[in-house]
Amino acid sequence: MKAEVLKNNIKIGLNIVEKVVGKNISLPILDNVLINTEDNFLLLTATDLETAIKYWVLAKNTKKGKIVVPVRFLANFVSLLLEEKISLEEKKQNLLLECKNYKTQIQGFNPEDFPIIPEVKDYEFLMIDNKSFCNGLAQIVDVASTSQARPEISGIYLLFSQNTLKIAATDSFRLAEKTISVENKNKKNYAIILPQKSVREIINTLGEKDGDLKICFSGNQTLFEFPIKEMNHPQVQIFSRLIEGEYPNYQEIIPKKFKTHIVAKKEEFLNHIKAASLFSGKINEIKFNVDPVKKNIEISAHNPDIGESKSSLPTKIEGEPIEISFNHKFLIDGILNIKSSELALDLNGEDGPCILKPIGDSSYIYVVMPIKST
Amino acid sequence: MENKDIWQSVLAQIQFHISKANFATWFQNTEVISKKDGIVVVSVPNAFSKEWLSNKYNKLILKGLHGIDDKIKEVEYIIRPQSSKSPNLKPSLTTEKINIEQLNFEEFKVDKETNLNPRYTFDNFVVGSFNELAHAAALAVSENPGFTYNPLFIYGGVGLGKTHLLQAVGNKIIESLKKKKVKYISSEKFVTGIVTAIRNHSIDAFKTSLSLIDVLIIDDVQFLAGKNKTQEEFFHAFNALYEKNKQIILSSDRPPNAIPELEERLRSRFEGGMIADISLPDYETRLVILKTKLQEKHSELPEEILDYITNNVKKNIRELEGALNRLLIYYKINNTPPTLEVAKKLLKSYIFSPFDIANYKKIIEVVAKFYNLEEKDLFEATRRKEIVGPRQVAMFLLRKELKYSFPAIARKFGGKDHTTAIYACRKVSQKFEENDKLTEEINLIKQRIYSG
Repeated sequence: MKAEVLKNNIKIGLNIVEKVVGKNISLPILDNVLINTEDNFLLLTATDLETAIKYWVLAKNTKKGKIVVPVRFLANFVSLLLEEKISLEEKKQNLLLECKNYKTQIQGFNPEDFPIIPEVKDYEFLMIDNKSFCNGLAQIVDVASTSQARPEISGIYLLFSQNTLKIAATDSFRLAEKTISVENKNKKNYAIILPQKSVREIINTLGEKDGDLKICFSGNQTLFEFPIKEMNHPQVQIFSRLIEGEYPNYQEIIPKKFKTHIVAKKEEFLNHIKAASLFSGKINEIKFNVDPVKKNIEISAHNPDIGESKSSLPTKIEGEPIEISFNHKFLIDGILNIKSSELALDLNGEDGPCILKPIGDSSYIYVVMPIKST
Repeated sequence: MENKDIWQSVLAQIQFHISKANFATWFQNTEVISKKDGIVVVSVPNAFSKEWLSNKYNKLILKGLHGIDDKIKEVEYIIRPQSSKSPNLKPSLTTEKINIEQLNFEEFKVDKETNLNPRYTFDNFVVGSFNELAHAAALAVSENPGFTYNPLFIYGGVGLGKTHLLQAVGNKIIESLKKKKVKYISSEKFVTGIVTAIRNHSIDAFKTSLSLIDVLIIDDVQFLAGKNKTQEEFFHAFNALYEKNKQIILSSDRPPNAIPELEERLRSRFEGGMIADISLPDYETRLVILKTKLQEKHSELPEEILDYITNNVKKNIRELEGALNRLLIYYKINNTPPTLEVAKKLLKSYIFSPFDIANYKKIIEVVAKFYNLEEKDLFEATRRKEIVGPRQVAMFLLRKELKYSFPAIARKFGGKDHTTAIYACRKVSQKFEENDKLTEEINLIKQRIYSG
C-alpha cells in the first residue's frame, strides 16, 4: 500500500473511528484501525464487534493494499504533525509515515486478523434530515437503562412509520419520547432497538452535520450513511447491531389524563429544583407541595446530615392539591431536554406517572415516576 | 451422534489450530442446530462471527465435521442472537435496594404474554401451618401441571397470599417447562375479555386463544358470580382445557360451595380437583414473614419492634408489610431505628384502624353479603329458613366478637325477646362444634369482617 493524503483529512477520520474502539483485552486486534486503499480513497475501519465505523478519506493512491495499526497511537501522532501532506506506505505489515520533516515507522498487525465488517445486503432504506435526527436522539439517549438485566430497554427504540419517527427510551423509572417527521416512501414501518453506545456514536460522529442521512435496514443490523458533500460517495458509515427483543408497549404508560396541571418557567423551575437537590438525601428525594388555591409550589428537601431547604415558586396550577416526591436527577434530566421557555408538569396523584413537556412543542414528552412519599 | 456432541468434538479439534483469544471471541455461543443431507447449519451470535467463521474458519470447521461424518459436504451459518433470558442476567439485588422507594412503571415487570409478575416466586413464599396444604398442592401442580390436581382451587381471605401462590405456580412452570404456555388472568379481565369479544363478534377468536393455553390461572373467581354468560363461556373453556389435561388453577375468597350464584355445573367442576385453603398465619409465621421482608429490603429492626408488629397486626399479611414499610421509611428519614414508643405511634393506624375493628354494622353487612341477602332481610320478622340461619349467625357473632349483651342483641333485631338471642347463640355454637360446613362459613365471615 502506498498513498498520499492531507493531514487534516486523515486526522478527522482517525478521530471519528477511534471513538468506537474500547479496551478489548481478549481481542487486541480491535484496538486497531484498518486502512484500506479504495479507488481514490483511503478507507479507515474500526469496530468493537457491536458497532463499526467506516470513514473515507480522499487520497492519491499509488499502490493498493491494506494495513492494520493501533488507532489511538496513530491519531495522537498525526495530530502533532504540522505539515499538510503525508505519505503512507506499508512494508511488511509496518506503516511507514513520511512527511517533509518526519520519518516514522509504526508497527502494525496482520490485516488478515482484523474482523470482517459484515456487509449490509438486501436492505431497504429511507432518508432523514441528519440534524433533527441527531438532536432527537440526543434528547432521548441518556434515559435508556444502563443495566443489562433487560436488554431491550437498555437500547433506544426507533419506530419509523409513514410520516413520523418516534424515538423512545426508558429505564422503567422514567421514559422519554421524541417525535420527528420523516418521509417514509416504503409504505412499511420499521421498528428497531439500537444499543445506547451506537446511538452515542451516531450523535458524536454526525451531530453537527447538515444534510440527509441514509438509514439502511437489513435483518438484525442497521447502517447509517452520510455522504461526502461534493460527490456521490459515502463519507462515513456507522454499522450497528440491533438489540433483539420486543420493546415494551410504552404508550400504555403515558397517562392520558391528569389530576394536577402545572405550568412553570423552565429556568426558574430548574433553579428551584437544583437548589433543593443540594439538600436531598441518599435517594435524591425532593418534595413538592402543590397548592392550586394559592397558586404556589413549595419545593423542599431535607437531609439529617446537611440541613433542610424550602422554597416557594408561584406559578400557574390547576386541579387538585398534592404532595409528591421525586428523584431530582430524574426531573433535571427531563427539564434539561426541554428547549422551550415554559414547561408543563402534569401530576397523577402521589404514586402515578407524571408528565413533563415543553409548552408549544408537542414533539417531546418525558414521563417520570415519583418516589413513594414519606 | 447428537448435534451437541458433533459440535463439541469439532471445537475440540479447532482449539489446537487457533489462538485462545480468537477461539473465545469467535466460537462463543455457537452451536450446530441441524444436520441434513450433508449440510450442517451452525448458529452464531452476531454478524461479525458469521463473516469471520464463513470466511476464515470455514475450511477448518468443514474439515472437523468431515472427520466425524464424511457425508457432510457443506456448512451454513445463520445469525441467532442469544435469548435475552439467560439465567445469569437476573436483576441484581443492589440496584433493587437503591430503588425501593423510587416507583417504576409497574407494567414493565409484568410479562406481557403470561401476565405474570416475576416478583412472585416460591422462594419468597413463607410456608406455615396455615398455608402448607395450599403450598404443597401448588408445588405439586407446578412440577407436573395437568396431571396432579386439576383443577387446583385455592381460597382464603384478603391479603393472605393467594395471588402470590398462584403466580408462583405460573412462574415456576415457565421457568422449568419453557414450552408451556401459561396465562394468568384476573376474573375481572376475563369478564371484560368475554364482553369485548361478544361486542366485536370475535368470540371464536377468544375461545381459540384460550384453547391454546397449557396452564390457565384465574384469580378471584368469586367475581364470576351472577355473570351468567361469562360463566357459560368459562364452562366451555374449562371443559376444553380439562379434556386435554391442561392445568387450571383458580382462587377465590371462599370455597366453591359458598360462592353464590355460581352455576351448579361449574361448582361441581371446581370441586373436582383439589381444594386447599389459606387461613390466618400464626404468630411464628408472621414473624418469619416480617424477617423475610426485612431481608428482601436489606434492613434490620430491633426484635421487640418485630414482636410488637407481629402481635398486633394479625389478620392480613399485606398490612403486615405496610406496617413494616412505614417503620422503614421512618428509619430512613431519621437515620435511627425507631424505638418501641415511636413504633407504637407510627403503627396506630394499622393497629387501631376503624376498618380493622369489628362493629355492629360491619358484622351485619358481611353476614348479609355472605349469604347473599339484603341487610334488611335479617331484621324481617320471619321464620323462613334461609333467613333464620344467617340471623342466628349474626347474633352469634355480635355476642362472640363484640360481647353484646343478650338483651342488646335482641333489641337490635327488632325487639325480640332476649331468650331468642340466647337460643340463637347456643344453637350456633353447638352447631359450630358439630357441623364442618358452618364452622367453615363462620371462619370465612370472621376473616372478612377483620380483613375489611
